[in-house]
Amino acid sequence: MTKKLLMGNEAIAHAALEAGVRVVAGYPGTPSSEIVEMVAKERAAGRAEGVHVEWSTNEKAALELLGGASYAGARCLYTCKQMGLNVASDPLMCLNYVGVKGGLVLIVADDPGPISSQTEQDTRRFGSFSKVPVLDPSTPDQAFAMVKAAFELSERYRTPVIVRPTTRVDHASAFFDIADRTRARDLIDGGFVRDPSHWVIFPRRAYEAHGEINERLPQIARDYASDTVFAAFNPLYGPGLAPLSAPDAVAAQLGIVAGGISAAYTLEALRLVEARAAACGAKVPAYRFWQVGTPYPFPEDEAARFAQGLERVIVFEELDSVLEDALTLAAGRRHLAYDVLGKESGDTRDRGENDVDDIAARLVRFFGLEEALAADDGVAPVALPQDAQLPARPPVLCPGCPHRGSFYAIKRALGKTPAVLCGDIGCYTLGNAQPLDAVDTCLCMGAGITQAQGFSVVEPGRKVIAYVGDSTFFASGMTGIANAAYNGHDITVVVLDNATTAMTGAQPHPGTGVTLMGPKNEPISIEAVLAACNFKKIVHADPLDLDAAIAAAHEAIFYEGPSAVLFESPCIQLVRPQAPVEIDHELCTGCKRCITEIGCPGIGFDPAAPGPKSGKRGTAFVDASLCNGCGLCVDVCPFSVIVPAAEAAGAKSDAAKEGGAHA
Amino acid sequence: MLNILITGVGGQGTVLAAKVLAQAAQERGWQVRTAETIGMAQRGGSVVSHVRMGNDGEEVYAPLLAHASADLIIAFEPAEAARVLPYLAPAGSLVTARTAIQPVTAALSTDPYEGARMVAQLAEAFADRPDQLTIIDDERLLAAVGNRKALNIVLLASAVARGYLPLSVDDLRRAVAACVKPRFVELNDHAIDVALAAERSA
Ligand code: SF4
Ligand code: SF4
Repeated sequence: MTKKLLMGNEAIAHAALEAGVRVVAGYPGTPSSEIVEMVAKERAAGRAEGVHVEWSTNEKAALELLGGASYAGARCLYTCKQMGLNVASDPLMCLNYVGVKGGLVLIVADDPGPISSQTEQDTRRFGSFSKVPVLDPSTPDQAFAMVKAAFELSERYRTPVIVRPTTRVDHASAFFDIADRTRARDLIDGGFVRDPSHWVIFPRRAYEAHGEINERLPQIARDYASDTVFAAFNPLYGPGLAPLSAPDAVAAQLGIVAGGISAAYTLEALRLVEARAAACGAKVPAYRFWQVGTPYPFPEDEAARFAQGLERVIVFEELDSVLEDALTLAAGRRHLAYDVLGKESGDTRDRGENDVDDIAARLVRFFGLEEALAADDGVAPVALPQDAQLPARPPVLCPGCPHRGSFYAIKRALGKTPAVLCGDIGCYTLGNAQPLDAVDTCLCMGAGITQAQGFSVVEPGRKVIAYVGDSTFFASGMTGIANAAYNGHDITVVVLDNATTAMTGAQPHPGTGVTLMGPKNEPISIEAVLAACNFKKIVHADPLDLDAAIAAAHEAIFYEGPSAVLFESPCIQLVRPQAPVEIDHELCTGCKRCITEIGCPGIGFDPAAPGPKSGKRGTAFVDASLCNGCGLCVDVCPFSVIVPAAEAAGAKSDAAKEGGAHA
Repeated sequence: MLNILITGVGGQGTVLAAKVLAQAAQERGWQVRTAETIGMAQRGGSVVSHVRMGNDGEEVYAPLLAHASADLIIAFEPAEAARVLPYLAPAGSLVTARTAIQPVTAALSTDPYEGARMVAQLAEAFADRPDQLTIIDDERLLAAVGNRKALNIVLLASAVARGYLPLSVDDLRRAVAACVKPRFVELNDHAIDVALAAERSA
């Protein structure tokens, strides 16, 4: 055993390894990516024996692969972000009917806010939709315990089990005692046992299986209460945050229910409100607080016991009103006379994240303590002067990012030609920002290519461009590629191939051939895929060589029929940067073209530094600590005053970028 | 309960600083939770780390701080300090680096961000409690250390030297040694020495 500070996601990986997981697969997506990475790291270090780990091409591929491994009796772990489960929903719905053999646990990371997602969908709902049990951790520690319990539950009932952390659990850290070495558990029954009546799903078998599911769900709900491992996920507290052994240990009219990270916030908020009340000499009315860590199937008997004698129950949860609905249903079904306050009733935030401050303020109201606590005011808070303005720091493409050259080349090639520019998911969504302003749409993984075809059908007068990253191309772009060729849509696919899955932290993918198991397989060529799909016009260019990039873009865009431009240049985070460029202060005219055309963070403008050619305007300068020497701006400056740095300067900048405390 | 916020711009080392504090707390036997608010992978955005330790033996439930609850804010950049000021408890302290980092979009914007002005505004905010504000001349100290990457450790050491944390310099040295690669231990020890010397001569 070693004590280690682990992020929630890392703890989840360790828990699965300690539970004997044999196969781990997923597709990167914030906030879930660190789980697979941690498993790969442990395996590579020789500490996790017998485990297979991979980034699959997409979520559907990952879950189906795991379905096979589970039929053969292996314990399996699947990871994705919330929208990844949409992609894998087909196998998930069916797997639950067929049933699993080796424990199959799905970690689906939800993203309230959303902080880095397109939707605020709630995976607890996906659980009830697919009739798959869901566990909902409020801390990394609970996530660790839940993953282990989920494997047991999965094998006990032969059901897949979802564990649903959210961003603040995935990316929070705590200390853990972790096993120094782990070993994948052997296959149940030594491997796959043929039984076509079981593993082959036919309508008749599905009808039977539906019955089995309907039988096991109430049993699981009972286990949540009677099995001490699961009961610990639904703790009860009374005044002073004292753990309660039974609900009736406190006579109360007020109840509080919370799930996920909101349960942790609620505990802090209760502590805060009680402390403030004590300081003001006010009395907090008696209450019971119940955390629901097992939202599906909802433990309704427990809920009814909890609600005994309560008049009002307030519910804190993020995303959807899952617990609120379940409590309302329980009240109706069992004729219990409590009111439920939550999202639906307008008493808690209807979207976005919860936090301690918001929950504390609502609890003060719920307890009827607004007046008693209003007077409490100690020292004034530290506040900035009224006129203070904070600079915004929006995310932007990195200095030297090859995508900048690609977007700029497309815009230059199009000139005034009317066009629709379809974007997709990745760093390159940022191409929509000023001054590039080169992305008109963004929907979901791979949609750029197919949406472009819709535009081309109804707007033949416009050129339609579809950007797609290399990882997205394999994950969900290929179906759209086939569709474009099959139905003859006149679109231009612009592949932004930077040789990695950049946005989620640089994971490999089929186009790189690099695997998490060590050996590198032959990279799959995007060009070969396009050619196999009957794309007749495929051109290549280095996006940082502006003239060549514009010429290539022009050739593809003005070709009739499906065409593609492959812009190939690695993500700047993967390569050693080149020496920064220099702007000749004596010659800079201050026209700002380098800034207003491509907006690279490496170039600044100093209005207080006029040069001989700039008049009063001031001049542009290169921030050597940011510039990666990609050279794009060299081609953009109309007066050729931006020049690649001399060799000597190169050595200097390397020294500046090396070493240090490695933050 | 000890609540600490560490804030900076991506790449400045906030995450390591949070780890070092967590390690020090753990060695004291306190429960500790930390959280990173990390956005997209691109560089240049704000990064805030929350660190909460139960230094009176209390249980830490949530990883994120409530507003007006930070006992200490360590900021690697003055505007980032200003951004998280609502988290500072009325009696809490701020240690901030003086050097401003221009947002990557600065050249495109029409109203410039002036670091000196921001530092003056911070000083104004603390005018009625100057003991709670420490502005670190990071340029000078880092020149003495010889490596800009040591900013995080210099600021931590300054906070410890000021008595803003119930941790000793030895606690800090041990925690740093446990968190960085062996070949960086010496550099960081040197950074701690430089910060302490500056504090003594202040
Ligand atoms: S060479 Fe020009 S465009 Fe490229 S990173 Fe440097 S400043 Fe930016
Ligand atoms: S991480 Fe790579 S792909 Fe993403 S913006 Fe930076 S250079 Fe571009």
